[in-house]
Amino acid sequence: MVISLMEVKNAAVIDTMSYLECMDHRIPGSHCIALEELDKRLPASFPNKSQPVIFYCESDRCPRAGLAYEKAKLLGYENIYVLEDGLVAWKRVGYEVETIQRVKRAPVISIKSAKLEVLIEEKKDLFILDIRPEDAYKASHIDGAKNIPFYMLHKRLNEIPKNAPVIVIDENGKRSFLACCYLINNGVKDVTRLFGGMESMGHKEKKKG
Amino acid sequence: MTDKNWITAIFLFLLFLFLSGNAYTASLKVQCSDCHDSERFKTGFKNSVHGNTGCTSCHKSFESLDKHIILKEIPGLISCGTCHGEIEKQYRSSFHSLYEDFKCHDCHYDIHTLKPEKGNFKIAVTKNCTKCHTNDEYALSGHGAAVIKGNKDTATCSDCHGLHDTKAYHTSSETNLLEAREFYNKTCKACHSNKEMMVRNNISPNAVKYYEETYHGKVQDLGYPTSVAGCADCHTNHNILPKSNPASTIHPRNLTQNCGKCHPGIHPRFAEYKAHPDYRDKDRYPQLYVSFLLMAGLLLVTFVFFWTHMLLWWRKVYWERHVMEELGIKLENPFTHKEGIQRIRRFSVTDRVMHVLLIISFFGLVITGFPLKYHSTPWAGAIIRALGGAHNAGFYHRIAALILIGLFLYTLWRCFRFAFPKGFRKEGWRGFFARLFGPDSLMPNAQDWRQFKAMVKWFFGKGKPPTFGRWTYWEKFDFLAVFWGMIAIGGSGVTLWAPELASHVYPGWVLNIASIVHSEEALLAALFIFTVHFFNTHLIPSKFPMDTIIFTGSYNLEELWRFRTPEYERLLKEGKLNDLKVKHPSITLKIVASMFGHASLWMGLLFTLILLWTFFFA
Repeated sequence: MVISLMEVKNAAVIDTMSYLECMDHRIPGSHCIALEELDKRLPASFPNKSQPVIFYCESDRCPRAGLAYEKAKLLGYENIYVLEDGLVAWKRVGYEVETIQRVKRAPVISIKSAKLEVLIEEKKDLFILDIRPEDAYKASHIDGAKNIPFYMLHKRLNEIPKNAPVIVIDENGKRSFLACCYLINNGVKDVTRLFGGMESMGHKEKKKG
Repeated sequence: MTDKNWITAIFLFLLFLFLSGNAYTASLKVQCSDCHDSERFKTGFKNSVHGNTGCTSCHKSFESLDKHIILKEIPGLISCGTCHGEIEKQYRSSFHSLYEDFKCHDCHYDIHTLKPEKGNFKIAVTKNCTKCHTNDEYALSGHGAAVIKGNKDTATCSDCHGLHDTKAYHTSSETNLLEAREFYNKTCKACHSNKEMMVRNNISPNAVKYYEETYHGKVQDLGYPTSVAGCADCHTNHNILPKSNPASTIHPRNLTQNCGKCHPGIHPRFAEYKAHPDYRDKDRYPQLYVSFLLMAGLLLVTFVFFWTHMLLWWRKVYWERHVMEELGIKLENPFTHKEGIQRIRRFSVTDRVMHVLLIISFFGLVITGFPLKYHSTPWAGAIIRALGGAHNAGFYHRIAALILIGLFLYTLWRCFRFAFPKGFRKEGWRGFFARLFGPDSLMPNAQDWRQFKAMVKWFFGKGKPPTFGRWTYWEKFDFLAVFWGMIAIGGSGVTLWAPELASHVYPGWVLNIASIVHSEEALLAALFIFTVHFFNTHLIPSKFPMDTIIFTGSYNLEELWRFRTPEYERLLKEGKLNDLKVKHPSITLKIVASMFGHASLWMGLLFTLILLWTFFFA
């Protein structure tokens, strides 16, 4: 369906993940427009509102493509599709993915939420990096966490200390690994990720703000 | 590549162009290592697992080497699957490929210097996986720690999760309960069923077998693991430590909290429940051993007695019939034809409705309960699937149990009214014992003992058959057995229904006893009803194939006179006979009675055959 839409109707296939994730692995020929940037970049890149657009996510457990559908609808796009089960479904059928700029994988230490408190206590200069979207961060976050959404990470890399320990926190533990690899590749020496992301934190350690 | 080599390479290339004016031809022997001359490629690659293959075995996609030399063509991605086809096929549907987009070299870190793992493969796997999966519990758990110590039996990461075929679902019991439990139950059992391996490692060799004898294990074995505890629910996924370790989830101090995850509101003594006990082990589990022995003894004595009684009775009746047929003797009675066929009421409408409800609830309990008892048989799985799953079966089981409990309570009320027809306040104890041991009572008395002895003598041809009053001794037994049954099966059933609440009354091991009692008493009840009760009331040659009196409520005067002479005489004497005369049952009632009766009878007999097949062949 995706292929026929691409070939016959010139559909635009859009990866709604962050730039880094999209450049690392995407459906061949697709465009990297993160969900957070959709409002600005979609009309700029695809001004023809009747052109079919197909959104997809990293996996079958990611809501971003569905949210992109809603945004595109509000922007006035007429033919919007969502790839069911995302990139995973694409891979399951055996189709290849395209790599434009790979984030070299590296061993990343992970800790469970129960140990986060110990880590904060032990490492006074710990840099808590929250890579979730701004609205999720605003809704609740760990005290002292800095928000650099994943789609901005490559642009705001200089805000991350290279010599201080960094712990990366995402929504549910599924995206922080790649973010950590990116940081390691860019010289951040002590990188840890929170296993299970913010979802594993429960409510007691979150702070509204 | 060093600068010096670059210059050499470009010089050689330009010289070649100058001499031939042609592009590179294969005739020029340029070695990859001429340019890629670092130690990593020169010696590292030669000594690696791929050292006997050439560079172009993997880096195939060259159009022209000359373009490569001047960096105009960079070779494309290589495909390990060209040689490792089977592994690649597995890997493509694995979690790491589908969700993390890992390539081969993300785990096989330096593909050019890769060497075969010498020594302990399990240690190598653990070390490699824990580079990313670094939570303490992965490496420090019982299994992981044992791997690092060099134990070759213990499970490394790949023994449970696969190596290149790691499952493409998250094996977390929080998000994917069904898949997770199916997954780890299967993987845990794979090794823990291996008795030799378990003995070798000083671990209980029958833990899996005993677990499968518990409610958790049975439901799980039937294919419905979502609603019961699997291995990891109690032992956790990775932090699997022995009971003696204070950090273990099954350490006595942590057990209440552990059980409480699924059983909220428990008393700490709930944790005394034995998760996979061997009730044949009298030293470790004396309470369970004694319970099992008592129940087994009860079954044995009951069936030896009643099946012998049944066989002797059948032989006697059949032989007498044969003699009478042979000699042409016809039974006579003192009634005219019209008098003889007069219907006499034996069971009231309430009695009959109660029995119908009893049959329905009894079959309901048997059909929904026995598949759990014999969970590993094919028929058990088929019944549970037909019922829509173990949870549905459990629901229907409880509905049927409620009907039975209701009947039991109503029977208790009727017993009370029988003993004190005008209420205890008005009546007091006056006449109580006369009623309790009187002809209308179902309480056994000396007369029953005499009738039993006479019956046995008659079986052996040493006397006439006894005559019975309103209730025979086996009918009284049927009635009273339900009382015992209800206390045993009902009490244990209610306990198992609300184990959390029960823990506030008695310790957890009582649940184990309740399981044994419930299960064995159910077998006793079902087999007794389907063989002894069915024989006594339907299959005895004088009533074969079925006596529908419990549904129609009445029998002929002649039958009353012939089989219950003292009762006939009493009713006549007390002038009650006329009050009991009723109309012949309607054709509709007879058809319904016959259909329901036959359906119940044959279903019971079929179930008996299934049970016998299970005992001897399954």
